[in-house]
This record gives sequence, C-alpha cells and structure tokens, in this order.
Amino acid sequence: MVLETQYPPFLEWLFLWSGSTPGALWIWLAGVGAVALGALIFSFIALTARYGPHKAGDVIYKVLASSVNDIFCISPRRVFALARLAVQESIRRRVLVGFGVFVVILAFAGWFLDPGKTDPAKLYLSFVLTSTSYLVLLLALLLSAFSLPADIQNRTIYTIVTKPVRPSEVVLGRTLGFSAIGTALLFLMGVGSYGFVSRTLDHTHELTEEDLLPMEPMEVAADEGGEAGKQGRTGFTTGHRHEVQLDADGNGETKPAQNHTHRVTAVQRDGRTEYVVGPPLGQLKARVPVYGKLSFKDRSGNPTDKGINVGNEWTYRSYIEGATQAAATWRFNNLRKQDFPDGMTLEMTIRVFRTYKGDINRGIGGTITLKNPNKPEVKHVLKNFVANEFSVDRHVIPLKLTTEDNRTIDVFENLVDDGELDIELTCLDASQFFGMAQPDVYLLKREGSPWLNFAKGYVGIWLQMVLITTFGVMWSTFLNGAVAMLATIATMIGGFFVQFLTRLSLNQEYGGGTFESLIRIVKQDNVMTPLEETYTNTVAMWLDKIERVPLWVVAHLLPDLPAMSDVNYVSSGFDISPDLLLIHITTALGYVVPVLIAGFLFFKVREVAK
Amino acid sequence: MNRRSLIRKLTYLSLIVILLLPLSYYSQPATVAVGNEKARAGGRLAQLRDQFQLGQANLGEIDPAGETIKLATLGLRGVAANILWEKANEAKKTEDWTGLQATLDQLAKLQPNYISVWRFQAWNVSYNISVEWDDYHDRYFWVKEGIKFLRRGSRYNQMEPRLVFDTGWFTGNKIGVADERVQFRRLFREDDDPEFPNHRSRPQNRRDNWLVGQEFFEQAVSLVDDRGASIRSMNPLTFFNQPGMSQINYAHGLEEDGTFEEKAKVAWQEANRRWTDFGNRELNTTDGFTIRLNDLDLTRGKVQDAVAKLDALAPEARNKIREEKKAKLPEADRKVLATPVETRSMQEARQAYDAEMKLFVTHQEVADRVKGEKADEAKKLAEEILYLDGMARAIDRDRGTINFTYWQTRCRMEETDSALEGRRLLYQAKQLYDDAALPEAREAYERGFAEWRKTFKAFPDMIEDGIGSDDLVDSIKGYAETLKKLDEPFPEDFILKDVLVGYRKRNPATPLPGMPAPDIQPPPTPGH
Repeated sequence: MVLETQYPPFLEWLFLWSGSTPGALWIWLAGVGAVALGALIFSFIALTARYGPHKAGDVIYKVLASSVNDIFCISPRRVFALARLAVQESIRRRVLVGFGVFVVILAFAGWFLDPGKTDPAKLYLSFVLTSTSYLVLLLALLLSAFSLPADIQNRTIYTIVTKPVRPSEVVLGRTLGFSAIGTALLFLMGVGSYGFVSRTLDHTHELTEEDLLPMEPMEVAADEGGEAGKQGRTGFTTGHRHEVQLDADGNGETKPAQNHTHRVTAVQRDGRTEYVVGPPLGQLKARVPVYGKLSFKDRSGNPTDKGINVGNEWTYRSYIEGATQAAATWRFNNLRKQDFPDGMTLEMTIRVFRTYKGDINRGIGGTITLKNPNKPEVKHVLKNFVANEFSVDRHVIPLKLTTEDNRTIDVFENLVDDGELDIELTCLDASQFFGMAQPDVYLLKREGSPWLNFAKGYVGIWLQMVLITTFGVMWSTFLNGAVAMLATIATMIGGFFVQFLTRLSLNQEYGGGTFESLIRIVKQDNVMTPLEETYTNTVAMWLDKIERVPLWVVAHLLPDLPAMSDVNYVSSGFDISPDLLLIHITTALGYVVPVLIAGFLFFKVREVAK
Repeated sequence: MNRRSLIRKLTYLSLIVILLLPLSYYSQPATVAVGNEKARAGGRLAQLRDQFQLGQANLGEIDPAGETIKLATLGLRGVAANILWEKANEAKKTEDWTGLQATLDQLAKLQPNYISVWRFQAWNVSYNISVEWDDYHDRYFWVKEGIKFLRRGSRYNQMEPRLVFDTGWFTGNKIGVADERVQFRRLFREDDDPEFPNHRSRPQNRRDNWLVGQEFFEQAVSLVDDRGASIRSMNPLTFFNQPGMSQINYAHGLEEDGTFEEKAKVAWQEANRRWTDFGNRELNTTDGFTIRLNDLDLTRGKVQDAVAKLDALAPEARNKIREEKKAKLPEADRKVLATPVETRSMQEARQAYDAEMKLFVTHQEVADRVKGEKADEAKKLAEEILYLDGMARAIDRDRGTINFTYWQTRCRMEETDSALEGRRLLYQAKQLYDDAALPEAREAYERGFAEWRKTFKAFPDMIEDGIGSDDLVDSIKGYAETLKKLDEPFPEDFILKDVLVGYRKRNPATPLPGMPAPDIQPPPTPGH
C-alpha cells in the first residue's frame, strides 16, 4: 500500500514538538486563537464605525459574556428534543430516498465494474466506500443548509425561539439531529455495501480431471517427499484462472491470482474423482502491520538520506544498486516476543529497475539480512529472494534460526535488542536496482477482522459527514438556503482540494496561479516554460502573489477531507490503526467545536434569535 | 391572483407545445416497410443523421452504462472527462494499476466514440505500463489488456479502421517484436482467455500472433474497401501493406522458432503472393496520382517511349536548345563547366550545378520547337511525359518509403530451397553449439554458409542492400566462436567475406571475425 503520509502515534501527533513541526494541538490553538482574534478585531472595527468605540466594546463584551453562559448552560434534554425534531423533519423531507439511490447504484454497479481486473477486491471496496461517501455528503449538505433558512422564511422558527431555548441549543440540536439521521443512513449503506462486496467477489472455478497432469518427480519438492501429485490450471472465471498443484490425494491450494487463492478438495463420486474448488481465500484482508524506519546506504556503504532516483517523476520510492554495498535498512521498534509467538512474518513489495535486460526468464534477486541494531556484527542472512513486483511477498522469520555452521540463533535473544531489530535488504544483480519506500516492508503482527476494518473505514466517512453537516448548519445560521448550500459546497470542494490549494498558495503548482494560468490557457503555452517578461505577464504574476495570501489562509482553515478517508487502507487490506482513528476523530472535533461556536454566535446576533 | 397564475401556466404550456411541434416534425424517425406500409425516410433531422452517419447505432454498439454516465453528468461531460484523464495520468504516475484500469473504463464509457481515448490509452497500457513490470508474464497480461481495450473500442466504433489496425499492430508487433517475443509468442499460443484472442475457434496451427494480427489488418482493409470507411490521416502505404508484412513476419517467426522446410516455404510463398497483391493495389498519393507500386518499370518504360516519340518529332532539338542555352551562359559559368569535375572546388561545384540547371531542357521546350501540323501532337506528348514522369517519381518515392523492393526480393529469396536449407542448417548449428557438439556445429555452419553463397548468387542485391544479409552476421560470429573453441583460425578466404565487408561499412564500430579491429570504439553498454 502506498502511504505518502505516515502518521506518528496519537499522543506524539497531538503534543510533541519535534524540530520545526509542532504538535497538532499547538497548531490548533494558534489557528483558533488567530481566527478568534481576527473576528474580534473585525467586529470591533465594524461596530465602532456604527456606534463608536465605547459602545462597540460594550456590545462585544455583552455578547461574549452571554455567549459563555449560553455555551456552558446547555441543557442536554432540550438539545435532545431539538435533535429529535431535526430527525423528524429529515424524515418528512424524504431523506430515506438517499438510501434508495444507494440501492439503485449497487444494483447497477455491475455495469461499471469489471471483476476481471488485477485486484477486484480493491476496486469494489473503493467503489462502495467512495460512492457512499459522496452520497452521504450530498445528503448532509442538502439537509443542513436548507433547514434553518426554511424555518426562518416560514417563520416556524418563532415556535422554537419563543420558547426557553438557547441559540446554542438550536444550533447543536440541529447538528446532532442531522448527524444522527446521516449515521443511520450510513449504517444501512455500510451493511449493504459489505454484503454487496462479499457476494460479488465470491466465486469458484471448475477443475476437472482433464485439467490436471501428473507432476514430474523432479517437481515435487525434496522436503515433501512421498508420492507425486498433479498439477494443472483451473477454469476461467471472472477474468482469471489459477495454477494448481495437488498432493497425491488430490487436495491442495491454488496459486494466487487476483490476490486470492482457493482450497481444492478431491471428492470421490460414482467411482470418479471430482475436485471441489472452495470460495476465494484472502480477498478481504485487514493486515495489522508494524512499520519500521527506513534508512539507506549508498554504493560505498555510507549512510545516506535517500537511495537513487532512477528517473521517475514520482519520488515516493528510492532505489539501491545491486552487487554493491548499497542497502535499505528498516529499524523496527517496540518488538515484543508475545506479539510474534509463532515467528515473525515479513511482508514486502519491492520495485525493480533494470538498466539492461539481462535474463528475461529470471527475476532480480536480493538478500534479507537480520541485524542487531546495537551490535552490527550480530547478524543473520535470512534468505535470498526474487523480487515480486506490485504484490505482497511474504517471508517467515522463525524464532530460532540455524546458521551455516549449525549454531542456533534466537531472534529475540540475539538479534532483537531493547525491542529493536534491523532488517536489511540488498540487491544481488549488478547494475540492476531495487526500489522501496518505508511502508513497503513491514512485520505482520496479525490478521485483523476485515469487517471490523470495513466499519472503521466508515468512521472516516462518518466524520466527513458530521463535518459537512456542522458547516452546513453554521452557514445556514446567517445565509439563506441557496447561498448556505453554495457556501457548504464551496467548503466541501475546498476541503477535498486542500492539498492542491496549499500547493497553489505556496506556488508549488505547475502553471502558476489564476492569472498566470489564464494567460497560458489563452496563449496555449505549456505549463513548464517560464512566462516571458512582458508587462502583462509581470502584472499577472503580481496578482497571483497577492492572491496567494488569502488562498493560504483558506487552505489552512478548511478541513482536509481526503485525509480523513481511509478508503486506501480498507481497499488495500490494511488495518486502520486505533492511533489513526483517534487522529481523524480529534481532527474532526477540532473543526466541529469552533464551527459550532461560530454558528451559535452568528445565530445569536441575528434578530430572529433575540 | 389564482386566475393570473393559471393564465401564466397555460401560456407557458402553449409555448412549449408550439415549440415542440416543429421539433417533432423535423425529428420524425425513419421507418421500415411493414406490410402495405411503405418505408419512410423520417424527418429532416433523421435524414441528416442517416446521411452523415451520426446516429449512435451507425457508430457501433450502444453501451447502456456509457449512455447512463453521459446523462448523469448533466452536460458536464467535458469536465468529467478532463478530471478522468487527469486521474488516469495520476494513477499511472503513482503506479495504481487497479485505479488506472477503473479510470480507463469510466473514461471509455464517457467518451466511447472519441477514438483518441481508445488509441492513446490502449498504447499506454500495452506499451508503457507493461514495461513497468519485471516478470514477463505480467508484461504479457498488460499487453493483452491494451489489445482487449482496443477490441472494446472497435465494438463501439465499428466504422473505425484505425482501431482495428491498431489491434493488429499490437497483436503482431508488440507481441512479436518485443525483447520478450519468444516468451510472449509462447504465451500467446497457449492463451485460452475467453475474451482474448478468440483462440477457441482457431485451429492450433493458426495460433500465431502474426497471423491473428494479419486477420485484424485484413478486417481494417475490408472496412475501407467494402464499407467505405476512411483511414483519415494514416499513410495508405503503411496501412495497406500490413497484411503482407504480417505474413512476412510470420514466415520469419516460424524460422526463428525452428520450423523450416514445407511449412516455412509455403509461408514465404504466401508472403510473396501477398506482397505482389499489395504491389498491384491502387493507391492514392498526396500529389494526386493513383499508382500501383508494381508499375514502376512499366511507367518508366512509358516515359522513355514518349520521350523517344517527342524527340522523333523534333530531331536534334534537345541538343540545339542546350547549345543555345550554353551560348547564353556567362563566361564564368562556361569556364567552370569546362573544368573537370574532380578538380572543381566546393564553390565551383555549386556554380557548376547551378549552370547545369540553367542548361536543363524541358520536354515542353522541345515540343515548342515542333511547328506545323505535328505541333499539337508534340504538345500532348510533352504533357504526357510530365504526367508519367511525376507518376514514376511518386511510385519510386513510395516504394522507398516502405522498402518495397527489399521485401519483394526477400520474399522471392526466402522461398528458394537454398535459402530455406541455409537457414535450417544455421539454426541446427546453433543448437549443436549449445549442446557442445562443436565439430558437428562447425560442419553445419559451413554447409549453411555454402547454401547462402548459392542463394546470394541468385540474389546479389540482398548483399548490396545489406539488410538482407545482416542477420547472417550473428551466425558468422557463432561460427567464429565455434572455431575458437576448436582452436582453429577463422578462414582467410571465408565464403561470405563480402557479407562481412558490407556489414563493416554500415557498422564501422562493430568487431567482426576475420576483419581488422574497428577504428571507432563502440559506446559503453549500460550494465557491462
């Protein structure tokens, strides 16, 4: 799985100030403080222009003082009543149609999805998670943006605000109500999606006597001994087939294809042997990995920050040269014997770059070496391997290893030192390269539950939904329905493109900002050539520079919605760690609380709520 | 208030109906004859759609999923397509192959009749993505994915010969010319994927990538010949020669795989027949001629005949005009023309060339000298010469573009018994060398070279041309290796020395057995 951003443990992420990067809490405090201060200054200036400075200060003080009271004296009972009202209103507005749309999407998904692709599980999981996400966000948007403005326009809001209800309770009640209905929908969609994925991926293959040939004695592994079995290929189903090797009794497991295998069992029926191919195994996974920290050595064996760039535009992976001292080492921490009672499983995905063709029939070889981090001389060459690109290659590290001179090495006693272990990879073929990134090699702690992981993936979507609902309610406290919807859409789209906006504000995007791009589009210039130094171009560049300031502010205020989505983890079969989940929840909370307070303040100063 | 609202609604409704009436009249669908009812051409829009073949059914199969996506984008198809192209590029960059496949599917559904989507992305998959994989099985899978993508594109664009042509090209050339061609061709023969390439209905001996590619090329040609499809900006030479080239490649592939004698002979004979058929095909050139590549000698003969006739009408006129022109040349030009060619300086050579150009006598000038009743005949002859000469030049140029003469001679040469035997012996020699049967290998090499000597005697152009004999150089190197291992020197009077001499002229940096060491050092090869 490609992980361009790897998060540290939750507490480290929240509090630790490492180098120039402060913890998330300090960034949040600074951001919220800056916005609050900016809002205060702006309000003071606006009110001063209208009433003079004394009166302005007085108004601000009174609003703030009563707001503190409103926030801290919220009645859960009233909030619950208002939330229930919001749920009833949503049901009246036929929000359940959204679920109907989802069912229709699933019903016709087969038109758009081809189970014959390289990794159908990834395709189907991505599809259901993404379509659910878009649908729920759309519903959250429509519900939250129109509710309050419609009540204000129909004057039904007076039936609420004339009762002893605080404005903060109105805002919180609506948000909770809409979130509750969104949660219910999301739950239904989640159950439906999991059923859809499991059913669609389920398949079997035909395997008959005619598909099998007796195995040559040489093909039976020496350590297996015994009688030679059969080998052959299964029938073609959903765009793939499996190679199969069976033992003398006709039982065995197929070779992997499309990232799964099948168990094959021989059954005697009417004097004939029939082969039953079982359901797919290992299609839905939730690997719990232990990641290490990657470091490199160059071809002379000296430590270096990165490996070699072999000319890829995407610099995610670094490469090491074969048959030199170049190596990639992963240092694993906090390893405990009780986590690996049956030995360690090392999984890896290594890229290959050939500078010459070499032997086409043979892959590029490498070596895995286990090293004691504090005593480099204590090491053990685990095995030589042939790189298997774009698929997970599994190697087992037994707890007891035997050296060439028949000594026994205990992994946890001799190699793991203070919970740390180094695993070094080298490439054996001269002038050929291995490419790797930090998440490409990991120790498999255990296989988690796929359905639980699927549910955790839905938590990310749920957080996105809650955020959009909160923003929708906030905008609707002072804008009319259509405008509130536009503002929420803008928030949502901006949220999905935060990374892009950030790059744009830092002038890291090819083609420049709005004005430079406009010139390039009109003149059909490519994005790589610098613009000529003409008067118009200079003005455009300056306008872009000016534009970048508000863009930077916006990019840093908007929530990074894709970062909250864990579709990549679920579809690639990796467990979403509790740390990651906590980081997402905390991030969402970091937005929800100030946005709710802002919504409450906007609503409070409106005539209708007074 | 209610009454006003009702009137307003009725007005809108009336306007809608009024607008729909002409639209309904113009868009009446065409109908076919049923019973006594005659067929009708339909409204104007239906007729125009039919005339320009714009109806979806004219283009190819209708994909309900694609139509749904198009409608679901609510007029924002362009934006959606743009986003998907970006997404496809990003997926390729970040090596997300599943994502890329899914995006390409969506893109194709969104723009099923935009040919570039199919051609560009199929190329991307078969050529660019396949090489990202190290294992040749994976590479083959991705080459196949690209071909399947093209096949799907052809279903939705049944009048598009370029897609069928590309399918043939990928099946033939990508599988048959890649570095992994031996493995690819084997996988292709063994492939029984029901979606590709329809092997189940194909006899075992036709399961060759070149022959399957040839079938696609023939389908593409048939689309143009029989259904009037256009090849648009494709070069007709390289479009129509592919069925023949596939046969040549098939015959060559057979020999590379070690199949000789009757099967290879028949394959080369078929290649010769197809190449001759291609040479007889009428082709339109960009300068307005309709030519046949086999007509070069015929057309040149016609030019000579017409020139002779013209000169007969005005005897000595050509020389006279030249002398007159020469007399009018400046003294410096005459002097430089009088200077022997080998002693002219660069400047003088240029000046002499310009002077020669001034002395050139056109056929029209000769015709103008014919007076009286034969003047019209002379004028017509001059025009005919001009036309035929242009045509001969066009044929010559187009023959050069696709190396027509070389392939023609090669087909004729390869089908001879001596060439077939020569190839068989050299193949056998290589096998013997690999099996360490060195004396037998040497003998097979020598007998093979003797057969080739015989062959080149009948086809001397193939040595002069070079390309025809270049593939023998590997065998000669193998022979030299064999001799080296037998502690024997490479013979001074090697029977195919002329092949080595010709090869050295074209590749001055390549070391060759029995030849002096090259003066130029070859560039370093990566990895060695």
